[in-house]
Amino acid sequence: MNLKSVSKMTTKNDSNPPNPLGISWHDSAWINVLDGSNVLEYFSDRSNPFYDRTCNNETVRMQRLDPEVMNDMTGLEYILLHVQDPILYIIRKQHRHSRTQVTPQADYYVLAGVVYQAPDLNTALNSRLLSTVYHLQGAFEQTHSFSRYHPSRGYWWDFGKEEDPQKDKASDQKENGSLFQRRRVDLLLGELARRFPPKIAAPAQPVAASAVTANPAPQASAAAGIGGPAPVQNGNSTSAGNNAAPSAATGGGGRGPIRPGGGGVSQGKS
Amino acid sequence: MSEQMDGDQSSQSRYQKIEFLGEGQFATVFKARDSQTDQIVAVKKIKIGSRAEARDGINRTALREIKLMQELHHENVLGLLDVFGHQSDISLVFDYMITDLETLIKDTRVILYPAHVKCYTLQCLKGLEYLHLNWVLHRDLKPNNLLIDENGILKIGDFGLAKFFGSPRVYTHQVVTRWYRAPELLFGARIYGTGVDMWAVGCILAELLLRLPFLPGETDLDQISKIFQCMGTPTEETWPGVTKLPDYVEFKGFPGTQFEEIFTAAGDDLLELLRKLLAMDPLNRCTCTEALKMDYFSNKPNPSDPSDLPLPSKFKKLQGAKRKVEADDSPAARKIRF
Repeated sequence: MNLKSVSKMTTKNDSNPPNPLGISWHDSAWINVLDGSNVLEYFSDRSNPFYDRTCNNETVRMQRLDPEVMNDMTGLEYILLHVQDPILYIIRKQHRHSRTQVTPQADYYVLAGVVYQAPDLNTALNSRLLSTVYHLQGAFEQTHSFSRYHPSRGYWWDFGKEEDPQKDKASDQKENGSLFQRRRVDLLLGELARRFPPKIAAPAQPVAASAVTANPAPQASAAAGIGGPAPVQNGNSTSAGNNAAPSAATGGGGRGPIRPGGGGVSQGKS
Repeated sequence: MSEQMDGDQSSQSRYQKIEFLGEGQFATVFKARDSQTDQIVAVKKIKIGSRAEARDGINRTALREIKLMQELHHENVLGLLDVFGHQSDISLVFDYMITDLETLIKDTRVILYPAHVKCYTLQCLKGLEYLHLNWVLHRDLKPNNLLIDENGILKIGDFGLAKFFGSPRVYTHQVVTRWYRAPELLFGARIYGTGVDMWAVGCILAELLLRLPFLPGETDLDQISKIFQCMGTPTEETWPGVTKLPDYVEFKGFPGTQFEEIFTAAGDDLLELLRKLLAMDPLNRCTCTEALKMDYFSNKPNPSDPSDLPLPSKFKKLQGAKRKVEADDSPAARKIRF
């Protein structure tokens, strides 16, 4: 049967108009016959929540005018921006001011027949940040639940036994790929390896590298003196600069992390 | 209208013919210049009708126009400026209008935006509201009778079938051009009201949207059939009393078509107006005053300014250049063109 459906990702506040970024639309009767020539017609289905039927496209269609006249009209219109048969089509909603001037308002992508609105940068960043913070918070909370404290012992980690079943679950899920998937991945990896063989000519350089590591003490310390600590020091004293930082570090010795910063600042002043 | 009393000679010489505009069944129309006011006017010279018509002394349609229009003064009603007689001829002087809505609808190079449609509908309803409030039924509304002047002002014209209404009396049902004729008239109703004009406005609005006659029936029966195919066949429940109309005939039960599927680019407020204008039962049809209060006229987009309305392409050479300059912001361009 012909299934037209609007899917909602959000479930809260159903009374409000749904956030266009949280919904998708498709008409399963169309999906098999979609191509670059009819995707705009597909998009202009009346049940498509992304389609504003007061747009110029629909006015022209209703008045049976030549579609070319849209370029001479002003107002809201939809254009086919990008075609990647048979899987991806991008449709742009734009406001036309003149024959040559338009302001894009939104992009929609039709991916495998399902229409989504492309998010704007602000929303995408917000969403990514939010999920990052959410997962970080989850990690902190979980980590926190494993930390233990006792006045005489101080802090320690106690991962206990309850952690094991979780680990098993996670590993189970990971290995749950079907036989087909596993074979397919192996095949793809093999093909990739054949196409881009690992460079075995490399050993020439590792010889030199191993020569360096062969006499470790002086070379390593030299390397550390030149490049190694510098970024770390920079991280510690932001304003004092490069030459101030090492001396502060040496002056501070092992007395803890607070001194070097202060020393760096005072040296910068003098 | 004291000028009317001046006598034939002065009235004849007052209006100088410029060109022939057109010829109808009852009259010939000329474009003329009023030498007193230097205004361009349209002079409609009534033909001497058949002996039977002339027996009453004057053509009936002309008499209707003179009788009614002398008392009607509204921005959206064609103004009758003067009437003068010469021998057995009678001539009516009207505002000069450059085009009519039919020409505009048929001109495929013209784009009618939603704001334009709203402006035309608004003007038409305002003019008609004035007529109805003054107890006048137009009875022949169609795009061809909605005239447009060079400023985009729409005026209701051709009062050849118009009539005072209000007292309960029997009228002829042979009024209104078929495509715009209300279902009660097609069923032979002899007592009717403003609903017949409202139906016609609905058909005109639909035609503005589709750019094609909405219900182009080929015969009166075909007209009824077209209406029912679109709105669904009425029953005693949906239209009480329909079966008692003089010329009622039973029709196949059409389910009707959703307006959303016909007027695909129309917003919900516009569809609501169409439904009220094209209600089958004349008692459910809205009046002009009710129509003007509907959301469609207060919602966005605002009706366009009459001066921004499109003109048929034959006027584009004249007006197009002017319009383009108006659109152009640079004052230099404006100076050059004017």
